[in-house]
Amino acid sequence: MIQIQTDRDEKQAKRLSLHLAMSVREIFDRLALEQNRPEAMAPFDTLFKKFAEAPDEILPSRPVKKVGLYCVTVPEELVYAAGALPVRLCAGSTDAAEAGEALFPDVSCPLVKAAVGFTRTGALGFYRGCDLVVIPATCDWKVKLGDLLSRHVPVLMLNVPKHKTTETARLFWYDEIRRLCRALEKLTKTRITRGRLRASISLIHEAQAEFRRFQELRADDLCLISGRDAVEVANAWFYMDAASWTGHVRCLNEELAKRKQRGLGVMPKSAPRVLLTGSPVIFPNWKIPVLIEDSGGALVCDELCSSGRLLWDMASIDEPLYDDMFDALADRSLMPCTCPVFTDATDRRVKLLRMIRDYRVEGVVHHVLKGCHPYDMELRPLEAELAAAGVSQLKIETDYSPEDTEPLRTRIEAFIETLKGRRLKMGGAL
Amino acid sequence: MRIDRIRLIVQAFCFVFLIYGGILGFSIGNAVPTMACIYAEDRGGACFLYPFQRFMSLPLSTLIGATILPFLIYLGTFFLWGLVFGKAFCGWICPLGFLQDLLTRARQFLGIDGARFRWASRERFQWVKYALLALLILIPMGIGNSLGGLPKLSGDWAVPFCQICPGKPLLPLFSGDTSHLLIDFSSPVKLALTSLLMFLTGVFLIGGFVKRRWFCLYCPMAALLSLFDRIGFVGLKKKGEACTRCGNCYRACPMEIREIADERDRKHMVTQDCILCMRCVEVCPENKALSATLLGFPVFSASAAGFLKRQGCAPPLPIEDFPHDSNSN
Ligand code: SF4
Ligand code: SF4
Ligand code: SF4
Ligand code: SF4
Repeated sequence: MIQIQTDRDEKQAKRLSLHLAMSVREIFDRLALEQNRPEAMAPFDTLFKKFAEAPDEILPSRPVKKVGLYCVTVPEELVYAAGALPVRLCAGSTDAAEAGEALFPDVSCPLVKAAVGFTRTGALGFYRGCDLVVIPATCDWKVKLGDLLSRHVPVLMLNVPKHKTTETARLFWYDEIRRLCRALEKLTKTRITRGRLRASISLIHEAQAEFRRFQELRADDLCLISGRDAVEVANAWFYMDAASWTGHVRCLNEELAKRKQRGLGVMPKSAPRVLLTGSPVIFPNWKIPVLIEDSGGALVCDELCSSGRLLWDMASIDEPLYDDMFDALADRSLMPCTCPVFTDATDRRVKLLRMIRDYRVEGVVHHVLKGCHPYDMELRPLEAELAAAGVSQLKIETDYSPEDTEPLRTRIEAFIETLKGRRLKMGGAL
Repeated sequence: MRIDRIRLIVQAFCFVFLIYGGILGFSIGNAVPTMACIYAEDRGGACFLYPFQRFMSLPLSTLIGATILPFLIYLGTFFLWGLVFGKAFCGWICPLGFLQDLLTRARQFLGIDGARFRWASRERFQWVKYALLALLILIPMGIGNSLGGLPKLSGDWAVPFCQICPGKPLLPLFSGDTSHLLIDFSSPVKLALTSLLMFLTGVFLIGGFVKRRWFCLYCPMAALLSLFDRIGFVGLKKKGEACTRCGNCYRACPMEIREIADERDRKHMVTQDCILCMRCVEVCPENKALSATLLGFPVFSASAAGFLKRQGCAPPLPIEDFPHDSNSN
């Protein structure tokens, strides 16, 4: 019985690897035709091409423990402080989602399906190769994910308080973060000392400094980089070592700054500026960013936990002491997080309105993955509030599969046309 | 440079001036709303509370009669000080505040984690400073007048707050005067008050070591200076739409003021316990979310670039001017 199971799994793994490689090649064949892409995107392209060509070389080869993470609510600083390498495992492959489907109800989030697909089949080695997988109990799918994955890898669940403004929630989370710390210390047999904490906070600060700089460049009128490339840069953070990612983004930022001087954008100024918000967009599912830009929109920013929100919030060291730094990490990963699993949606609304102003956004696209209930639930009130503020919006409900691409294209094109019309009406030049 | 370092230097300078200024003949008067203790021999200016309590102990007829002019001048001076500096006295000038900050520095140097109040405990004790303020007015009035027909209080009750203020034994120590470190057995009232003082001084030192600015939560001077929270020249403003409620400012606030992070719809952030230390502004990573203001104009604002620099991370490229249209409110 077990033998049969393994055989079937192996077949499935092969099929999955094959399909994944195909979709990756498809993406990069298209990218190869594109002109005017920043050269500094090369290291990111190299990384993602490995998903087709050399899946075993995706992660850095350093002989350290690998800690798989889901969501943005796990402070990566702690993993680095323990001397391990964090790998974000949230997955975006439609083929992997198919491979994991059997274990889920009909309408369920493709992200967890894909994660299970990769883990069960072992098609991407590191899904099983992680020495520990940390899953914060955010949405219901993540809550159940732990059980499914624990059959293949050691899993640590983190309790996430959902009503985060109370004192009990904060203290509870402080303790959870310390529990994570002890688990990591045990895993790597390294004590997380004050010095190590400080160093890892600085490591992430450096990445965050580049990330903020990158976002600032994206806000430029010129549209210095395509939204898809920006998603690629952010997605690369999942798999790269923090220091090398920071280096690559620094080069990219320098190139973008030069392009800014030369007045070289990737989109015409007539392209309406779009903000993407909602469920995560993860490689290789770049469907929505690509569709927006194919339809003539400029994706200038996003409020997604897989890109725009990824490295935004920064921990502040107040007293460089043990407790303070832990609390700082706990706070930074929970308090400003605008994930809809938390009860209070004001933070997200305020942030969106601020981004709309800062990036001079003309239209908002809400991305809801079928089965992603939290974003779906938050959508109606949010839509109403943004509409009251005069924001044009488009809601897209989809999953990872490319099947609905054409109908989506029609809708997005129509939306972009509306935005263009609106700009004309407002007296702006095209 | 980090604000908290600049502040420490300013505090040290003010401390030296207020404690030793008198040696060179300096004095900025005796209506200074800060704990520049009257008992410190060489002081360069003196605490408002001592003369205030003396004034209050005059019979009412004298106070609003013969001494009305000096009293009004005295109050007016206090008002001007308060208007111009307000709570900045607490964050930047007060010798007792400085001593507490030194205790905190010592604790940090020793690598000992500090303590924080539970939200409820902190709120539970907020009335204390107002009660002390009321008492330091009422008790002296009971010396010169018979309040509500009660017999007058004895002179032993004179300047009652000074008799229990940790500044009295501690600050004169810096000019080598240990004479206030004692328990006075001359009368039951004196005995009780001096014993209380010794106890409170101990608590001041231990509390200040364990928890930042422990004493300031109970200080009646802070209650008085709260009069200027809204009208003072120095202000603290918040731009709610830029705030992510990340909590950095709350964690760094020595007075553990939660409103600073959690309230988004309020602009004026000088709350009853705020000491205008501006630590919150320097640890805020969101551009212009918090600003220190002078006469309503921002003089120092939170920024991502400044945050990173002060945290010891210098970005290779400036990220100063983001968002571009930040001037529109
Ligand atoms: S004892 Fe305290 S209240 Fe009295 S003058 Fe000295 S510092 Fe001021
Ligand atoms: S509150 Fe603190 S800093 Fe302000 S006067 Fe009182 S002791 Fe000094
Ligand atoms: S530090 Fe700034 S962004 Fe964070 S809660 Fe305070 S004011 Fe808001
Ligand atoms: S609110 Fe800000 S200025 Fe006021 S005491 Fe707290 S940190 Fe200092």
